Amino acid sequence: MTYDASAREERGAVAESASDRTFWGRLSSWAPYRWLASFATASPRRQFIILAVFPILWVLTQHLGPMLQMLRVSLTDAYPVAPGVEQHFTFDNYLSFFGDSIFWMPFFRTLIFAGVFTFCTLIITYPVAYFLARHVSPKNRMLLLLLLLIPFWVGEIVRTYAIMILLGNTGAVNMVLRFLGLIDRPIPFMYTSFSMGVGIVYLTALYMLLPLYSSLEKLPKSMNEAAADLGAGAWTRFRRITLPMTLEGISSGCTLVFLISTGFYATPVLLGGPSTTVFAETIAGFFHVAGDQWPTGAAFAVIMFLAALLITTAFQRLMTALRKGDTK
Amino acid sequence: MTRHNRILLSCVYWAFVAYVFVPLILMVTMGFKDSNFIGFPIRSWTLDWYTGVLADTETLTAFGYSVSIAVLSTVFSVIVGTWIAVLLEGRKFWGRAAIFGMTVLPALIPGIISAIAFRIYARYLGIEPGMGAIVWSHAVHNVPFVVLVVMARLSTLPKSQIEAARDLGADPLIAFLRITFPYLVPAIMGASIFCLLLSFDDFVRSFFLGGYEPTLPVLIFAKLKSGMSPEINAIATVALVMTAVIGVWAERFTRRMNKDS
Repeated sequence: MTYDASAREERGAVAESASDRTFWGRLSSWAPYRWLASFATASPRRQFIILAVFPILWVLTQHLGPMLQMLRVSLTDAYPVAPGVEQHFTFDNYLSFFGDSIFWMPFFRTLIFAGVFTFCTLIITYPVAYFLARHVSPKNRMLLLLLLLIPFWVGEIVRTYAIMILLGNTGAVNMVLRFLGLIDRPIPFMYTSFSMGVGIVYLTALYMLLPLYSSLEKLPKSMNEAAADLGAGAWTRFRRITLPMTLEGISSGCTLVFLISTGFYATPVLLGGPSTTVFAETIAGFFHVAGDQWPTGAAFAVIMFLAALLITTAFQRLMTALRKGDTK
Repeated sequence: MTRHNRILLSCVYWAFVAYVFVPLILMVTMGFKDSNFIGFPIRSWTLDWYTGVLADTETLTAFGYSVSIAVLSTVFSVIVGTWIAVLLEGRKFWGRAAIFGMTVLPALIPGIISAIAFRIYARYLGIEPGMGAIVWSHAVHNVPFVVLVVMARLSTLPKSQIEAARDLGADPLIAFLRITFPYLVPAIMGASIFCLLLSFDDFVRSFFLGGYEPTLPVLIFAKLKSGMSPEINAIATVALVMTAVIGVWAERFTRRMNKDS
């Protein structure tokens, strides 16, 4: 040991000065690196620019770029442009949306479905989040929450397929009902708005559960106790304290779930039927055929994005107003 | 009253657990059915579907394709996301809010719209549909999640450590590599596992940006459109096992990270 250490020291003393022994020491005294470092850190301003240029370029070109390009394509009459053909600016793609009920019916259906499914998700997950945050000891809480997270790691397609098996004519639900003697012939759950709803609530529940849980967890227990001491019943306590105090979680959960539900493509295709065509399928239709349909598809995607944005913003405004009204 | 509430709520909780677990359990079980026909009751059992899938080159190729896409896109997302997080956290500059807004944008766009926008943009950039396009779209889509996780971790870094390093003569880059980066490692690991999961499970972007070669979710979707069969159950179970493995691994990391901080 002693020999080793002293030998290394000797070698170190011969080869390099004491401060240069580590990798980092060597790096910082390496001439090209020193030149680079002093160039990059000459002033805080230069340092900041070097740090900021790449992220700013990235978000502009990669995050905003696709949306802007989609908007641009939606205002042209042909994309991709065939050689020798001139591209013209036009609003026709947007106008065609209002011209045919085959287009705007799925659009409104999507928005109504998304709204209804979001509400269902809220109703289903609120008691679960409430139970986890208020009735479970902190030690078990993580465990019980984790139990719910596991199925949500599984992908969209696999979970949609699982719902198909659950609700099919020879599926588990129909089998149980028949076994109990409640029905003679299977109830056709599949390919209806019901099966779509079950699937979409299944896929989005976690995005509602987590915001609700975190806002319920923050709520101090003492407030409820104080209200109980003052003679408020369980329902009054819930309505006057718990619900207003968790509006923030409700608002962010609903926004998230609404945005996600409007964007599902595979789930409506697999679980829905001809009477439940959603706008995502309409949009996708324009991209299966190559060529001149793209601008229309882009325009429809823009319409849908703006509508979803408008609804969620209005909803959040409403929730903020409700929150302020309560604290006054 | 409270007691009743408690019992009622715990029933609701366990009913919800059943709702999220039972469909998956049924799906795995159905893969053991000795028949071409999906449906209950299951009268005879077999392992053939599972052994068949494990020997099926189409499934294995799709599986490998999905995994390589997930790994590649995660590498990109993590590098870019960490960089953006370092720029945004704890710094005040003109336009910061706008950059933050643009950063989280891809995570907020509904799936189908993001897929369409990426499809159009890939065409504009000249990226052919296929692996490159899928990797690119997954990378962009997952950046916001990395940024949020890394920013959260970065905000708990004691500033004094950086200052001490600087006082001892480290330049900003060395201070970053020796102090900040090791501190961020748990967050980066957590974020990358999350990205792996998102990419591996993603359908809509892979579907619209893919070429002829299908990723695993796209393969399952294509097979489902031509009819249900226990073979699909076996393939879906392979995907499910993969996600469960990554997920459990992720859980270990997040727990370690919470312990650290």
